[in-house]
Amino acid sequence: MSRASLANEAALVLLEVENLAVEFDTYGGIVKAVRGVNFTVDHGKTLAIVGESGCGKSVTVQSMMGLIPMPPGHITSGSARLRGTEVLGRNSIDGKEIRGAEIGMIFQDPMTSLNPTMMIGDQIAEPLQVHKGYGYRQAFDEAVRLLEMSKIPEASKRARQYPFEFSGGMLQRAMIAMAISCKPSILIADEPTTALDVTIQAQILDLMQDLQHETGMAIILITHDLGVVARMADDVAVMYAGKIVEHGSVDDVFYRSAHPYTVGLKEAMPTNDPTRQHELHPIEGSPPDLFAPPPGCGYCARCPFAMQICDTRESPDFFLKEQHFSRCWLHHEDSPSKPDDLYFKGREA
Amino acid sequence: MWLYVIKRLLQGIITVWFIATATFFAMHNVPGDPLLNDRAVTEAIRANLEARYGLDQPIGTQYLLYLRNLSRGDFGISFTQENREVNDIIREHFPVSAILGILAVVFAAAGGVLFGALTAIYRNRLPDYIIMFLVILGISVPSFVVAALSQLMLVTLNSAVGTTVLPVAGWGTILHMLVPAMVLGLGTMAYLTRLMRSSMLEVISSDFVRTAKSKGVPPARIFAKHQLRNAILPVITVLGPAIAAITTGGFVVELVFAIPGLGRFFVQAVQQLDYTVIMGTTVFYGAFLVFMVIVVDVLYGFIDPRVRLE
Amino acid sequence: MTDIASSEFAPLQEQKEVHAISRPSLSYWQDAWIRLKSNRRALVSLYIVIGLLLFTLAGPWIWRTDPAFQDLDQVSQPPGTNRGALVVEDYQPWFGDQFLAGEDLRLAEPGTTQAVRLQWDPLDAAGGHRVYRNIFPLGPERAYGIPLAELLDPETDYFEDRLDLKPGRYYYSVVAIGPRGELLDNFETIEVSVQQVTTVIEAVERGLVDDATELQVGDQIDLIWHPLGTDYLGRDLLARLMAGARVSLFIGIGAPFLFVLFGVVYGSMAGFIGGRTDQMMMRFADFVVALPFLLFMILFKIAFGIGPGESGVFPMLVALVVLMWPATARLVRGQILQIREQGYISASQLLGAKTSYLILRHMIPNTLGVVLVTVTFAIPSAIFTEAFLSFIGMGVAPPTPSWGSMSNEGIKTMLTTPHELIFPAMFISLTVLAFNLLGDGLRDALDARMRNTE
Repeated sequence: MSRASLANEAALVLLEVENLAVEFDTYGGIVKAVRGVNFTVDHGKTLAIVGESGCGKSVTVQSMMGLIPMPPGHITSGSARLRGTEVLGRNSIDGKEIRGAEIGMIFQDPMTSLNPTMMIGDQIAEPLQVHKGYGYRQAFDEAVRLLEMSKIPEASKRARQYPFEFSGGMLQRAMIAMAISCKPSILIADEPTTALDVTIQAQILDLMQDLQHETGMAIILITHDLGVVARMADDVAVMYAGKIVEHGSVDDVFYRSAHPYTVGLKEAMPTNDPTRQHELHPIEGSPPDLFAPPPGCGYCARCPFAMQICDTRESPDFFLKEQHFSRCWLHHEDSPSKPDDLYFKGREA
Repeated sequence: MWLYVIKRLLQGIITVWFIATATFFAMHNVPGDPLLNDRAVTEAIRANLEARYGLDQPIGTQYLLYLRNLSRGDFGISFTQENREVNDIIREHFPVSAILGILAVVFAAAGGVLFGALTAIYRNRLPDYIIMFLVILGISVPSFVVAALSQLMLVTLNSAVGTTVLPVAGWGTILHMLVPAMVLGLGTMAYLTRLMRSSMLEVISSDFVRTAKSKGVPPARIFAKHQLRNAILPVITVLGPAIAAITTGGFVVELVFAIPGLGRFFVQAVQQLDYTVIMGTTVFYGAFLVFMVIVVDVLYGFIDPRVRLE
Repeated sequence: MTDIASSEFAPLQEQKEVHAISRPSLSYWQDAWIRLKSNRRALVSLYIVIGLLLFTLAGPWIWRTDPAFQDLDQVSQPPGTNRGALVVEDYQPWFGDQFLAGEDLRLAEPGTTQAVRLQWDPLDAAGGHRVYRNIFPLGPERAYGIPLAELLDPETDYFEDRLDLKPGRYYYSVVAIGPRGELLDNFETIEVSVQQVTTVIEAVERGLVDDATELQVGDQIDLIWHPLGTDYLGRDLLARLMAGARVSLFIGIGAPFLFVLFGVVYGSMAGFIGGRTDQMMMRFADFVVALPFLLFMILFKIAFGIGPGESGVFPMLVALVVLMWPATARLVRGQILQIREQGYISASQLLGAKTSYLILRHMIPNTLGVVLVTVTFAIPSAIFTEAFLSFIGMGVAPPTPSWGSMSNEGIKTMLTTPHELIFPAMFISLTVLAFNLLGDGLRDALDARMRNTE
């Protein structure tokens, strides 16, 4: 490969998602699950997407993987480009399949996400057989090696066992081994630790970080646990009601939170920092019905700082710096109210 | 695993004992003296039979005698057909019923799995609607009507073609077996199709199929390696009772198609009140069904690792 | 963004109600009923079931024909047959008419259902004649079938057919036979169309007219109306279907209610008592399940013995109950065990609820739905069993009609008069179908997991 094309490749963003919108036809009407989402992921970096249940996090990544059942789901607009090539609606780019080869994925509940009647080793070997044309023996040996890499003891014996003989944490390790078997450039982890014990959670996160250092893959981490975000992420996208309401580096989003929802999330989270201890404040109410999304800001009904305009008009992205934006009218220059809880442009954190 | 098989076999023997006991007391309750029947035999045979079954003894002794004969595999001699042992009758007619039943079960299971999987994959589309409509018909129309209609169709077919494409009744070649086996298996197939459909629908929307998709496994391989094997499990669990339903349901088909099977013989024996044949056939069928259920359960263990390794 | 008025940045005054619950709260049964109503197939099935019950219970009040009455004028008549009959004189014996004009095989007078009178010239070299009647013309293969009569005297050249004549077309053949009774090659055949006739006396007997004076020979009269035709003994099919429905539905609905009731009592007792008793009780249920069902149905039936004049309905009911309860017992026991483990039972106990309250308030309402669905699915299987047994002649004893025994009678004449099989079979299928679909609907409607979906 020539030096020029290498440089060219490096210059391209690994993954760029633009204006992605996904809808579902249901009996009750059309659910606008994702309503125009933009983000980018760089080589070897971790992007965390946070938000409460039903805000469209999983749908966003599943639509890139072609895992949305169609019908009822369909992607109404937007694009997702992997190294500059469109992946939406396609199975492979440049002769390499997207699912399993370019992008690996692990899921929330490892107990149900593995085939109960198939040996663990066979399940890990499967993508190698499918994408790399390995023979059964070769693929199985590689599966054992991957299990070892995922720090599963007695890997060759374990590979011949079935999912019900594994513990939850072990299964998630096996899932990770499976997802990275074809050395994908991106690993999508959809709430990988939610179903696990707290002690196991840390081990799984460590494993993911170690593997990231070894292979240089990017990670898209979906979670509603801000602790996990702080530990893992380089960048954070906060999603609410199908939109990204705040995006920035992990420091910006945590220490210079610029959207009332991010602040609300933080206040609802316990902390062990004695200087920052506070009462836990739940965010009152529930997200808007996405059958009929509100014309203005989706958070308006629950926002303590809501203004007249929030109810009627959609806010644009207000950039606080190059990579940090917030989708909130409070950042408009004419907005009279500038609450202390929020970070504003030019204000000290 | 072997321990499990042995345990099941022991349970099976106790169950067969229960069936034999229930049969004995039910038959003992039949009003009238079995030997006072006008079809009964000469004085010498009568004395012979009385001694053999201890008919002049108290019921407890009769029962023990009966159990002893049974445990030796001796079902006795027919009351109405001189010098014919019940064992001979079973040996002669059961293979016919068994072949018919096995064909019907294979037909029902294969069809049920195939159509169930199809309807689930084409859910709410034309193939689904057509198959489910036929399934509902198959569940609702009694087997004797299906048997009669298929005979009618065979008659029409044969007369339209001009030669005997498929025989309308009788037994002998594979051609004789085809239509009766299909008729016999139809109701079970409809039931299995429904079961397979709901099981398949559950599997299609399951997490592990989503995982397989995320791995980039092609749909045909997902179907073969992930969906089919898991969806088929509930179907296998009901296969034991299904075999029972099919083998005893064979009566009607054997009657309508004039097949010399054990079912037809049983009906005949009941009409003639042939005690030993009735009892022998019932116990034999019961033992056969118990055994089939055990076989199916063990088979299930080989397919589902969760059961095998328990 | 200059077009934004500063007033728009004023704080939002009225906060929207964030806790509003938009859906009305419904009780379990209300919710189930609403979802059953929205299930069109289940609703249609429910109407069919109600219709069937009306047919069975109210039908005999409207259609008052006696199901046992034999209308010998109309035997095995399909529905919609022309009922018109010519009134003719009473039957007079006939011994041939040698002076009848014409040649070969001929009719002495037009064929009627009273008699068909044939006259012919003796065939060449005939040592006698055989007379055949067919409903199809003789083909080249000359399949005569069974002879109506064999006339060994070659001089006998007439024949009168009075056997079971129905309006329609018959093909009569006279075949010469040799000295040893073998069929010879020469034969004659004739097509006869038979007309429905009756006599004044018969019309009065059948109640078609009140008084003999109202009727004269040569009049046209309508015979008794049978909307669905008659069976092979001339009995009205509609009346028999109603009477048969009473038997079939009595067994089909009565037996499930009884064995489900027994199963509920047995299963809940096992579930409540628990421990060793539970184990023993369930093991016994396992044994009963292992009995080969149909064989034991027959066995129990003969064990009960049917005396003369009894219908055999009661033995069948008992046999069904004895053999079919374990499934319900298992289900209810499982349900009870499951409910006992639920948190809300412990919560209720903590609040001081008595056992009777727990049973009334929690156990029964939570098992009722399952039991209801079981009953609905048990009905078609009981109807099937009855039909099946009656069909192989092991069910209700004749002359008591049931849909199964009617099918059994109908299948014998399937090729010539299919309506005798089709109607009872249709009723069985329709009933089974309706109960199955209703059961599906009920199961979906009562399944609390399906709430708020669809």
